[in-house]
Amino acid sequence: MSDLVLLLPQLCILSAALLVLIYNTIFRKSTKLTILTLIAVVGSFCSIASAIFLFISQSPTVTIFGDQLVVDGSSLFFSVIISSVTLLVSIASYNYIKPLQNQAEYYSLLLLAAAGMGLMASANSLVIAFVAMELASLPSYALVTYLKNNEGSTESGLKYFLIGALSSAIFVYGSSLIYGATGSLGFTAISESILNTPSLSGLLGIGILMVIGGLAFKTTSVPFHFWAPDAYEGAISPVSAFISSASKAAGFILAFRILIEAFPLDVVSSIGLDWALAIQILAVLTMTLGNFAAALQENVKRMLAYSSIGHAGYVLIGLAALSGSQDTLVIGASMMHLMIYGFMNTGAFLFIALAEHWNVGPTFKDYRGLGSKAPLVSIAMTVFLFSLAGLPTGGGFLTKYVLFMAAVGAGFWWLAAIGAINSALSLYFYTRLVKSLWVDPPISDLNISSKGIPVGIYVAILIAAVVTILSLPFFSPFADFAMAAANILIS
Amino acid sequence: MGPFDLIAAIPLLPLTAFLVILFAGHFTPSALPKCGAIPGILALSGSFIISLSLLPLVYSGNFFNNSIYLWATWSISDLHFGFLIDPLSALMLVVVSLIALLVFIHSLGYMNDQNEQGLFRYYAGLSLFSFSMLSFVISDNLLMSFIFFELVGFCSWVLIGFWFREDAPPKAATKAFLVTRFGDYFFLIGVVAVLVIFGTANFAGPNSFPVLAKSAILSGQTLNGLDPQTWVTIIGLLILGGVIGKSAQFPLHTWLPDAMEGPTPVSALIHAATMVAAGVYLVARIYGFYALSPTTLAIIALVGGFTALLAATMATVKHELKQVLAYSTISQYGYIMLALGAGGYVAGIFHLTTHAIFKALLFLGAGAVIIAMHHDGDMWNMGGLREKLPVTYWCFIFGSLALAGIFPFAGFWSKDEVLLETLNYGLGGSPILLIGYAFGLIAVFVTGFYTFRMIHLTFHGSPRSQAAREPHSLRWNIKLPLVVLGSLSLLAGAINMVPLGEILGIDLSYLHHWLDTAPSNLTAHHYHELTESFSGYHSAYFSSIISAILSLAVAVSGMAFAWKLYQSPNPTESGTVYSTRFNTIYRILMHNYYQDDYQLMIASLTRNKLATFANIFDQKYLDGLVNELSSKSLSLSNSIRRIQTGAVTNYALLLSIGLVLILFIFALLGGWL
Repeated sequence: MSDLVLLLPQLCILSAALLVLIYNTIFRKSTKLTILTLIAVVGSFCSIASAIFLFISQSPTVTIFGDQLVVDGSSLFFSVIISSVTLLVSIASYNYIKPLQNQAEYYSLLLLAAAGMGLMASANSLVIAFVAMELASLPSYALVTYLKNNEGSTESGLKYFLIGALSSAIFVYGSSLIYGATGSLGFTAISESILNTPSLSGLLGIGILMVIGGLAFKTTSVPFHFWAPDAYEGAISPVSAFISSASKAAGFILAFRILIEAFPLDVVSSIGLDWALAIQILAVLTMTLGNFAAALQENVKRMLAYSSIGHAGYVLIGLAALSGSQDTLVIGASMMHLMIYGFMNTGAFLFIALAEHWNVGPTFKDYRGLGSKAPLVSIAMTVFLFSLAGLPTGGGFLTKYVLFMAAVGAGFWWLAAIGAINSALSLYFYTRLVKSLWVDPPISDLNISSKGIPVGIYVAILIAAVVTILSLPFFSPFADFAMAAANILIS
Repeated sequence: MGPFDLIAAIPLLPLTAFLVILFAGHFTPSALPKCGAIPGILALSGSFIISLSLLPLVYSGNFFNNSIYLWATWSISDLHFGFLIDPLSALMLVVVSLIALLVFIHSLGYMNDQNEQGLFRYYAGLSLFSFSMLSFVISDNLLMSFIFFELVGFCSWVLIGFWFREDAPPKAATKAFLVTRFGDYFFLIGVVAVLVIFGTANFAGPNSFPVLAKSAILSGQTLNGLDPQTWVTIIGLLILGGVIGKSAQFPLHTWLPDAMEGPTPVSALIHAATMVAAGVYLVARIYGFYALSPTTLAIIALVGGFTALLAATMATVKHELKQVLAYSTISQYGYIMLALGAGGYVAGIFHLTTHAIFKALLFLGAGAVIIAMHHDGDMWNMGGLREKLPVTYWCFIFGSLALAGIFPFAGFWSKDEVLLETLNYGLGGSPILLIGYAFGLIAVFVTGFYTFRMIHLTFHGSPRSQAAREPHSLRWNIKLPLVVLGSLSLLAGAINMVPLGEILGIDLSYLHHWLDTAPSNLTAHHYHELTESFSGYHSAYFSSIISAILSLAVAVSGMAFAWKLYQSPNPTESGTVYSTRFNTIYRILMHNYYQDDYQLMIASLTRNKLATFANIFDQKYLDGLVNELSSKSLSLSNSIRRIQTGAVTNYALLLSIGLVLILFIFALLGGWL
């Protein structure tokens, strides 16, 4: 029983998903969107609350179900990120999917994916990791194709599915090689096995690299990123927000846990593999490609998609700098960045959702003059964009600062330098949108007031904005939480 | 509620007035009576009353020296805002708030009654000016001083250029801004140097930089590779750069005469209590630092003495009433610098105080005359205004006699003490000060000359223009400040009547005692000890009576000489000795010794070369680099963007190639092949 209590964050989401389905089955004809939204909101809120409660009351690390799952500070930290994004997206979806079909299916898919992501945060063996990834991925594919009569939506969903299938195959194949070499699937068991009987090093090394490849798919790291711009652009914006924030966070916690616990650098060095080097390459490629490709996009959503790839690159710096002397700090910095990123990136995508709701076109030009028509949310969007760029309008400034300083402290000044150059470039395309919002002359035929104010999207954007802004002056709770989580993971 | 709780209100009241005038003036102009003068008057009255209430507190030995707001912690030092209330700053607060208040009242007559436009901007500027100066006065560290020093400069730019649609005011404003800014560069370097060398910019307390500098010199160790006293001299001279710019000392005095293009009440504020006073106040504020370096003190004294004489001579030939006053201001601040450089700390403060009063009086009087003259400031068009403007005349006379240093007006006591102290220390073993004394004494003669010329041309004789025959009438708001300042010009000397004390055999140096009630490292007595032991200043204890009689005689003879030249009821410049025997001198004086000309020449020569070079460097290298970088980045991003073809088969191919490449590289590195 107590084992189940430890899984409360995931169980809340899961029961909400089931509740949505049950409710929809019973009241087939008279399903109310308000109730669906309420179930999702309450479920994700309970998940956040229970995760924070468990973090405060829980002893550092507990493994359950025969070591298959682990509940520790880092799993709870990421549960908070994932459930917060789910909460924001659930609130915003209320207005967005109101005119659409299959609302109950939408919410159940969303919640099931979130449950899968929560499980990824707690996975403690390669099998569970794979199952959890699939539990997160399969609903995501369906969510991206939610507009099933829309060509763009189905096409991008199909691409996402195909690349996902390829990546899953690579991950599973890598896992089987690892199992072949070590005879174990549990993370700690694998590392012990490598330490005690280092054999079949080539087989094991290739297996590890393939597992990294599978994780790179989830974290949208180059060259496994190809699906992301297409999927984010084709999906409805709340789903883009969800996948680009929550799914990425889930991918990262799994990557952190597998690489740190199953394949510690000092252990795998015995087989001649320095995966930190591989991550360094991935980090540089991901940052650079993401930001450079974002620079020239005409489509705002696509720009945000590439910017989200660029941010994956920044977070990878934390893993890449692990061979230094500041392990806890670099991983903690990455975690902080993912947390703040969860809010500012979700907020930015939800702003796009709002614009889509108002029938604003997809390009930068179409956003001209929106600042004067909807000043409040435009201010929020400005906060998100500048915070994403690393300016002190929100916590994004501090997390990037800590991340780069930690990398420098760990001896990877060149990674920090490349990150800083990319940040400078990113200011260009973020500012372009700010300029469109505030500076450029407004488009005359855009009439917002006739469509009314979508309360749900507004509330979600404003919550995200408040958290983003407040995380600047009140940074220490976020930082302490992340450092505690990182500390548990490293030791 | 402690006695010092209201300190913050002294600068904050004018700041509030500034905000109120700015926003109410913009959004609801009709809600503000008198175009914003009333909030300003109320705020300054409040500041004045609070400043007055500080005097008994300070006199009974209470001080305030605390950090109020810490805005940055630095490995070397904490950067903070804080207040320092000691006898010096308390006295200055009273002077500044009183004169600013009177200037506001005077402005009602000078600006509102004349139906000037843009008065919200005017009063907002005046309020911000007062706020900046009051904050500067109560600063407890050099960095905060610098910040408000700059803000004072900015406000004077706003106000001098108030009539920005005309030709001359914007130019004068810019000139004032640029010239003072030139000095401020040195000041800024000085601030940084103080922070780096001493680790604190505090004025007072055991960890203040003057105290640290003193113990560094006493310890005999080197600081950052240099002898501490050398550091003190270098930093002192750097800070002096800002002082010379703001207090209009040679050679950076050229902005002040042009600054009279602003409204006359603004000139009164600039000359008497804010902008120009800020410079010398800074020297007095860190006097414990300057006292450690005989070189710096000598330079201050010589610059001051030379400026006193130079500016006075230029004042003798000017046609504009306000220009005469402007040069007299430069000259009088020269005296204050002379006193401070010669070790006469009390004399310097004394003259700063009395000058603030009589110069504000003279400028407000000049404002009254200019209104009466229908905005004509040329003295050669005046004459005979004595009968028409009796109140203005008598007040102006009081101010002029104070300026010329005639017994028993305020300026007599203070100027005499300046000269006495200079003579004392000059005779007492620092002969270089005797040069400063000579300058100062000759300047007394010249001052008497131009003062009498100014009064005579303006008020005496017969009217020389239609305007002078039918002057505009004046209202109470013009006369009230004149009367207040006129009585103070007569009485303010009473705070330190040293010669009278010597005659009567009693101690009348109240100001000296007042400044001695300061915290231990800020007293006049302490400064005296410092100049004695570090700069070798020893007083010769020359008789103050003889000195007073001497300077009085010189002043009177200067006036007599002017009387001889201009006594006729219809005096003309061409009829005087100038045009005949001293034509060359006259021309040189009219051109202000060609100071502006040579400075312009230097500026244009260096500027053109430097600007061309900077332009090429910027266009070709800096901009070129940035442009090249961004165009390269954008073309790179264009090619990166093309990787995303949209065909899922391509994605799968690239993904697989990427994975195989990684596997291959690491297989090679790991030796698995």
